[in-house]
Amino acid sequence: MLKEKGKIEHEIWSDKLTKVYGKGDDAVKAVTQIDLRVEPGIHGFLGPNGAGKTTTISMLVGAISITEGRATIRNEKAGSVAAKQLIGFLPQDPTFYDKMTGEEYLIYMAKLGGLRTKEARKKAQELLAYFDLFDARARKIGNYSGGMKQKIGIAAALIHEPKLLILDEPTANLDPIGRADVIDKIKKLSDRVSVFVSSHILSEIEQMCKKVTMIDQGNIVISDSIANIKRKFVGNVFVLDTNMNKQLLKPLEKNENVLKVWLDEEDERIRIVPKDQEKLQKMIPKWIIDNNAILFGFHQPELSLQDVFMEIMSKKEEGGPTESNSDLSLNDRKKSKKEKSEKKSKKITFKEGDSR
Amino acid sequence: MNRIFVLISKTFSEIYSLPKFIISLVIMILFPIIIVAFPSAVDFGQISVSQASAIIAIAIAPYLFLITYGLVFTILIGSSGASLIAEEVSKGTMILLVSKPISRVKIFLGKYIALCLYGAILSFIALFIVCWTAVLSYSGNMDHFIGIIPFMLSMYLYSLFIMFIFVSITLALSSIFKKSRNASIVVLFLVIFAFLGFTIIRMFTATYYISFQLYHFDLGYHIANVFVLFTEVFNSLPPSIGWQLFFSMITGVYALTSTTDPDQYIILGGLDKNEYYPPILSLLLWVAIATLLLLYGVYKMKKRELSV
Repeated sequence: MLKEKGKIEHEIWSDKLTKVYGKGDDAVKAVTQIDLRVEPGIHGFLGPNGAGKTTTISMLVGAISITEGRATIRNEKAGSVAAKQLIGFLPQDPTFYDKMTGEEYLIYMAKLGGLRTKEARKKAQELLAYFDLFDARARKIGNYSGGMKQKIGIAAALIHEPKLLILDEPTANLDPIGRADVIDKIKKLSDRVSVFVSSHILSEIEQMCKKVTMIDQGNIVISDSIANIKRKFVGNVFVLDTNMNKQLLKPLEKNENVLKVWLDEEDERIRIVPKDQEKLQKMIPKWIIDNNAILFGFHQPELSLQDVFMEIMSKKEEGGPTESNSDLSLNDRKKSKKEKSEKKSKKITFKEGDSR
Repeated sequence: MNRIFVLISKTFSEIYSLPKFIISLVIMILFPIIIVAFPSAVDFGQISVSQASAIIAIAIAPYLFLITYGLVFTILIGSSGASLIAEEVSKGTMILLVSKPISRVKIFLGKYIALCLYGAILSFIALFIVCWTAVLSYSGNMDHFIGIIPFMLSMYLYSLFIMFIFVSITLALSSIFKKSRNASIVVLFLVIFAFLGFTIIRMFTATYYISFQLYHFDLGYHIANVFVLFTEVFNSLPPSIGWQLFFSMITGVYALTSTTDPDQYIILGGLDKNEYYPPILSLLLWVAIATLLLLYGVYKMKKRELSV
């Protein structure tokens, strides 16, 4: 039974949504019983590569079948024609009909969305202008740059005036200027349409969204507003800044009050997750003096989404995160601990044998 | 505008390009035109319109069957249609199509109808040119062209039958296979098997062919049986050894025997038919094969997992 039609509470709603590829011994669970609740506005869908973001989105747009559970788009069954009328979709690495011009493609997509020819042409020209592609409207899409293709893809998703835009990694493969441009357009679009955007680039999601759902290995890890998520996690991380941050890392690793410690790649300050918060706060001033260091600061930081994500992931898995950059790969995380420690020693340091 | 028409129009524009259309047409008509280019020994001024029309039809019918609609038209449909679904899936454009508010069955139907439309136009123009050229070459008499209209009609309906069969098979294979090349190859093999393969088998295993009832599986025989059915229904091709001998060798529809009037010692009605199957059953057999494959193709299209 689907949810009753009428009042629309959620743009996307799912109940125990599951996707299994293969059968028997070869079966692989790509998404496991996830319950999505996406409200109007821009909602981020985060997770490392291979976490299940694209599989989830594919089920929502009807590209693949749902193995178990159910999902709705504004109360319409996901994958149905009625649901697809409500969504505009941009896949990861979209492919276009290269021989069509940008304008022809948009008109074609508009007509498939149910618009009449005249209406379709008008709407296509509006969107071409909005995405700064009007001058390139008569060029074949095959000759467009990556950024232009991404923008024509979003324009095609918007052309039949959907209520919800589903964007799968919309900034992947774009240069920094292209990324900034696409992010800006998406933010502006949120006045007209709800957006469900997936990405593994956390800083971008933070720029665009107020609410996020984090997914890893096919399971939802957390789903809340970014502010709430940060509030939950800020209490557990401390920033320590001294005149000899790098040298203090090893002694801190051995300290009984410290659960985890690393050097932040951006500000080169020490981050500490304590075993006991109060004990750590009492211990640090004396410990700094004992180690002949000068204390510049010791406080709880304003966390970035990436910090939170790393924190969540490190809680989930033994050994913690492997990469300090935002491109978190599932495969990388599966590499051996030895490999991981070699890699992360450059930028992030964790306590050896730390297990949570 | 109805979305299915949008799809038909887009698919048709994908299949159709003027140079490709002209090349296809030339390949379809080339062989029959070469045949009718040789002058006939018959003095068309001395015979009736119906006799003249019959001679023209008899001259071109075997080549329309084997070359124009047998080997060329079917392969053209296979090569044009094999990519329609498989390539969209492998390139990744299908995902954008299915995310639009249109059902997968309609996407399949849109492509199916577009390919049929293309085939119907191609077949009509090819048939018209061949018949027109035959009349011009043999007699140049407009009345003879009018006289072969029933023959043209029966041939055109036969070509639509062939089109239905091969469009269904091609699109089903395009929906089943991941690579369009595989779908084209299977269609090519089917055509060779149907129109040439069993000719060879029949030739070399004449005894076994009947004793083991191989005609059940002889797709070429069944197609030819349908061809003959169309000509019989429209009475558009008089029984004559001229074309029946060809069908006897290539398809096995006719035997190399004839019924003779015992009183007058004249051959009646051309060669005897090898009535392995009633023609209508041959037609139903092909329709059943095509329909089942078509339904399976639609099912596969509905269930196909499209990776993003």
